Amino acid sequence: MKIKSAILILIILVLAIEPAVILASDGKSYIYDGYIYDYWGDALESPAAFQLECVIDENSFGGMKVQGINDVCTSKDGRIFLVDTLESRIHVMNEDGEMIKSIKVIRDENNKIVLDPITGSQLVLTQPQGVFVHEKQHELYIADTGANRVIVLNSDTYVHKRTIEKPENMSGVSEFKPSKIAVDTSDRIYIVVQSSYEGIIELNEDGTFSRYFGVNSPTVNLIDYFWKSIASDEQKEKMKKNFAPAFNNVALDGEGFIFAVTYDSASQDSVFRLNSQGKNVLREMGNTFVVGDIWSMGSKKENSQFVDVAVTDYGTYAVIDRLKGRIFLYNFDGELLNVFGSIGKLKGEFQIPSAISWLNDKLVVSDSTLKCAYILAPTQFGEAILRANEYYYYGKWDEALGWFEKAVELNANYEIGYTGIGKNYLMKDDYKKAMYYFKLGNAKTYYSQAYNGRRAEVLKENFWIVAVLFVILIGVIVGSEIRYFKKKGGNT
Amino acid sequence: MGAVSKKEKLYYLKRALFHPFDGFYEIRFRNKGSVGIAAILLVLYGILQCISYQYTGFIVNEKPLHEMDSISIFISSITILLLLVVSNWTVTTLFNGKGKLKDIFIVVCYSLIPLIVVESIYTFASNFIIEEEAMILSAIRWLGIAWMVFLILGGLCVIHEYSFGLNLVTLVITAVAAVILVFLGVLFFTLMERMISFFSSVLEEFMRRM
Repeated sequence: MKIKSAILILIILVLAIEPAVILASDGKSYIYDGYIYDYWGDALESPAAFQLECVIDENSFGGMKVQGINDVCTSKDGRIFLVDTLESRIHVMNEDGEMIKSIKVIRDENNKIVLDPITGSQLVLTQPQGVFVHEKQHELYIADTGANRVIVLNSDTYVHKRTIEKPENMSGVSEFKPSKIAVDTSDRIYIVVQSSYEGIIELNEDGTFSRYFGVNSPTVNLIDYFWKSIASDEQKEKMKKNFAPAFNNVALDGEGFIFAVTYDSASQDSVFRLNSQGKNVLREMGNTFVVGDIWSMGSKKENSQFVDVAVTDYGTYAVIDRLKGRIFLYNFDGELLNVFGSIGKLKGEFQIPSAISWLNDKLVVSDSTLKCAYILAPTQFGEAILRANEYYYYGKWDEALGWFEKAVELNANYEIGYTGIGKNYLMKDDYKKAMYYFKLGNAKTYYSQAYNGRRAEVLKENFWIVAVLFVILIGVIVGSEIRYFKKKGGNT
Repeated sequence: MGAVSKKEKLYYLKRALFHPFDGFYEIRFRNKGSVGIAAILLVLYGILQCISYQYTGFIVNEKPLHEMDSISIFISSITILLLLVVSNWTVTTLFNGKGKLKDIFIVVCYSLIPLIVVESIYTFASNFIIEEEAMILSAIRWLGIAWMVFLILGGLCVIHEYSFGLNLVTLVITAVAAVILVFLGVLFFTLMERMISFFSSVLEEFMRRM
């Protein structure tokens, strides 16, 4: 009897301490390994902010041949536009990854194929590389790279609206070979031409040339600088010129600023937030600069190479590194929120990621080699950090506080979470609590602000003690001076 | 030369601080220094380094506290000074310096006092400052460091009977000598490690064949 009950208890114990297996809700999602950088630049493990929800592959295209997806764009109502450059097609999918339409031949309202006014041939996409949905005018901009033009369609009915050819008044030496495209709220069109060192081409609404936009400054090599400073003009002519690195992709943020990325290693910055003068006004307030991985890793010692950036309305942006297949999430302050993703051949891993875009809270990432696109949904942790940063951005402190607390609960090493909680308490003048959380979050500047408030409070509360101490100190100094002079006076 | 009382030694410690040329002259040539006091100061300095690592105020403390290892902090801060003493002695014997190893040790350790004072003020006060005031504190700290450098330079000049220029030259060579010393030390320990592992493997082999 005793033995039986002992065995029973043993079995219960074994069952109770069996490790809990963590599965995603559907039990099959691919969960990435995430990490962040702490105050000292050490990489800390972190839950990943996103998990694989759905794969858009050849099956989703209904047997249509796909050769690689080079750009992705989403509309507010949840449609996904995928660009297949080699097949010259644009696929329109719904948010579940089901096909709505595939565009290759451009048609007008009467479902007739549009003819090119100059050549008289049919208007067919020729190796487009970029696509952009302009929500305000319900327009779909297609950068038709192979034919050096931009085709504008109605984004709801996909009928032809207009074609933008190379503007006659365009200056400079850049070829008009639109690769990526973005349109801002004032209907100005921004066109990226790969390997153009003059900047982003800005067109007016009517398709006339406005200016080159955004200057990307190259890093100056100290040795080159020395040789150039002593070289004659003729020698300088023969030297390799340091051209400004080209931008590789553009996006638009909620405030109408242009985000641009470059993976040229000669560039000083890799992510740009360009104001109307073309200056980079990206905020870099976090522990790290917005450069992706802060240590160059691998045999080639290469840094992260960003191919695309996607920005939410609340300033949180995701950039994707084509070298290591990692997605970096930054908030509007430039604080690194999370890193996840990897190169590989498993489901959910990348070969050569090409583009990224937000689909409300989800991310759509395309891969040019794997011929597929992934829809990634936020995990519990991802949801917490996205909501926290959204509410923080809009100044809703109480809601943000709750989500930051959730994030910290899921990841006790999450410095940004602690800092976020502290910021909320600082807003409410609860200095003591704010100091506690800023210390956990290693936020020295904020801690200093909170401490300033706390110190003033303590001094105010203990005003009489401080005043008495101060008077005694003054008294001692004055008294010793008097004694000293008396002694001196006695001597003389 | 009779025994110098403890009180007198402490007096000359104070004298060396405020009148380094006079003070160190007395210490060198009239035997008014104390190796004991110097050693105490050195240990104090090592302990203070550990304390300041941990207890410097959060706002100015950029050291990773979770990696703190007080023994290695203590040993490394003391070793650097001892290395300076030894390598300076090796160099100055070649350069006709009059100072003995004991004198160099006393000069270096006595000169630590301003640093010890300033570091403890810094560590204590940094707990009660905000970021904007940190600059004032670090200015005070730099004053202390400047004072220490002045004491070491002056003291070495006096005990070796060097001109200032020659003193600087020997200090540069001292730095080179210190690097060589470290190199030799590393070499020695690596060779020792090889040798020990060789003998131990031979022994192991021997035991197995028995």
